[in-house]
Amino acid sequence: MNFLRLIVAKEFAHIRADKMTMRLIIAPVFILMFVLGYAITTEVKNVTITAVDRSNTPESRDLVQTIRHNRFFIFTGYAASESEARLMLDRGGARLALLIPADFGTNLGNGRTADVGLLVDGQDANSSNVSSGYIQSIISLWSRGVLKERLASAGVNLRTVLPVDVRPEIFFNPMLKSSWYMIPALAVVLVTMITALLTGFSIVREKMSGTLEQLMVTPIAPVHVVMGKVIPYALVGLVELTAVLVFATLWFRVPFHGNFGVLLLFGAVYMMSSLGIGILVSTVARTPQQVLFMLWFLLIFFLFLSGLFLPLEQMPAWVQKVTLINPLRYFMFVLRAMFLKGSGLAELWPQGAAMLAIGGVVFGAALLAFQRKVS
Amino acid sequence: MNRRLLAVLRKETWHILRDWQSLIIIIAMPLFMMFLYGYALDVNINDVPVLIVDPNPTPETGAIQRAIDKSSLFKVSQTVRTAPDPLEVFKTTDIRAIFRFTPTFTADLRRGGAPAQIQVLLDGSDQNLGTILRNAVEPFVQKTVFDLLHLRLPAGITVSQTILYNPQQKAATFFVPGLVALFLMMISALLTSLTITREKEHGTLEQLLISPVRPIEILVGKIAPYIVLSALDGLIILAVGRFVFGVHIMGSLVLLSAAAFVFIFVALSVGLLVSTVAKKQEHAMLMVMPPTILPTVMLSGFIFPVASMPLWLQFLSAALPPTYFLTIVRGVILKGVGISVLWPPVLVLCLMGIFLLVLSVRAFRVKL
Repeated sequence: MNFLRLIVAKEFAHIRADKMTMRLIIAPVFILMFVLGYAITTEVKNVTITAVDRSNTPESRDLVQTIRHNRFFIFTGYAASESEARLMLDRGGARLALLIPADFGTNLGNGRTADVGLLVDGQDANSSNVSSGYIQSIISLWSRGVLKERLASAGVNLRTVLPVDVRPEIFFNPMLKSSWYMIPALAVVLVTMITALLTGFSIVREKMSGTLEQLMVTPIAPVHVVMGKVIPYALVGLVELTAVLVFATLWFRVPFHGNFGVLLLFGAVYMMSSLGIGILVSTVARTPQQVLFMLWFLLIFFLFLSGLFLPLEQMPAWVQKVTLINPLRYFMFVLRAMFLKGSGLAELWPQGAAMLAIGGVVFGAALLAFQRKVS
Repeated sequence: MNRRLLAVLRKETWHILRDWQSLIIIIAMPLFMMFLYGYALDVNINDVPVLIVDPNPTPETGAIQRAIDKSSLFKVSQTVRTAPDPLEVFKTTDIRAIFRFTPTFTADLRRGGAPAQIQVLLDGSDQNLGTILRNAVEPFVQKTVFDLLHLRLPAGITVSQTILYNPQQKAATFFVPGLVALFLMMISALLTSLTITREKEHGTLEQLLISPVRPIEILVGKIAPYIVLSALDGLIILAVGRFVFGVHIMGSLVLLSAAAFVFIFVALSVGLLVSTVAKKQEHAMLMVMPPTILPTVMLSGFIFPVASMPLWLQFLSAALPPTYFLTIVRGVILKGVGISVLWPPVLVLCLMGIFLLVLSVRAFRVKL
């Protein structure tokens, strides 16, 4: 136990001596958090739209006015023809183009179904789906308004036209804010990156400078060497988790309904995996560059399959099975549930158990690999 | 070509080939990301589990339930008569939506007059899914009830939409151009800064400098292999995109290559600048990431729409070279537009490239 304390003290001395690395790791974390908190958004806003109005009637102008006043859209002015509208889309000056045909006004006036065209910049399926959905609902609302006026002048009330009233009510994140969803997930990314990278760098450094071999000829057991390296970085990870929590709640106003102690407990359990991965990588890698590349590779894989962007339940069944061994998946679920739903140990113990099992295997494998490498 | 330059070139190529682990990762990573995006992540939301609260079951509510169950979006996982606490349901089960009929639903529907009410409770903890459901649920229920009552929606406006550039709405199509930008940036900026910092760290840069090799030859010799490597990686990404995922390059390959060449110089310059400041390889890596790779992923529109960001981030995004390169790459590959449309981003990228190159070569000279 004495040896362990010495190694921990030695590692802290390293951390203190190499202030640059720490500074380079800690400062960007906060900058990242700040920037990414705003940048990572799957919300679709400020969609640029142009219109070609061949009808040029009070109705068509009113429809364009309605779109212009909608806060989701930025109207970039009329285009003279369909080809000009197409050119605006090519240039990226507009993402949508509404094409109002010449017979729009007369059709609408005669109570026939009027047809409008919509050109959609479809590069990003998500954005184009959402924005074309918005425009269609604006148009249908507008046409209902027109219909209502006409029926009212004929003495019919529209309420009898619509037989049901649907009232959506949204729980946990009533405004459906992207930041509330993404910032807890960001904590997972940051904690993973920092703990795995720092551990990996630290071990590879000693390997390169030959001091790892020196440590091995001392009476200190390899387990203690590893633990001594891991404990300081686990502490750094917990401090970081706390910092993210403070920043998220105070700056981004993400509600935190969970229990802080439980959060740290889950964090510690999770870090068995991230630190273990750092050690495993460092036993294979020969240079810091390789550590970075390998961790990066793994992180991308784990992140894609963690539910960061897309709901896991919606992925193909075989992909869902693969995600079961992904520790990030569980920690991300835990953090999001603790922040938004206020879940505690009662609901989250299965995730905790899974992380403990995965962490145990990964950390055990890391210890074994390290021991084999040095002996 | 002069012999000294050739010697540096050979040495650097040897360094690259010797570290085959890194080389494999550089080539495998984009392919791997493409496969993940192309196959695993091309999801359509369907069969979302819902709970139905129907206090007063009638043929009408039964028909609506069946319609909900049959729809591709929803799947009825349970029907109950009394409403449970929605918070408990969302916390402890996989149910994401609750449809609640009012007790007088059928009576209201039969009577006409005031509309019958359905309350829909959604789990917003998954913001993505929540948004999709919120937008879908109202039109879906209206249409179901109209069909049930054999009514036709009142004549209104139909929207016929044409989806341009990515008509099949595939994630891989959107992703391939971005990957080209990301990996050109990664290899050019990161690897250049690393290779120079490594020589500094080992003291071999000084040895090189006191040799008869001139500084400019060292610089060119060390950098040129990475230009080749970047170009190769870009080509591999485009080839796999074309032959595996069917992402055709609609525009001019010449314009694309020219823009890529300029972009590589931008990235190399950033790498050089960092290497004049960094003393250790770890520092170089950590310093290179914030100005290059992170903005390429996060702020350039690679994944997240720039227009949705706050204004100050949009300005930041406009100050970063990857934003312009991405506009060009997507313009050429997906939209098939030429220089007549793309000249503004090309011009900005060229100016940024010249500025950064001059700055970094100066800094490098001073350092030596």
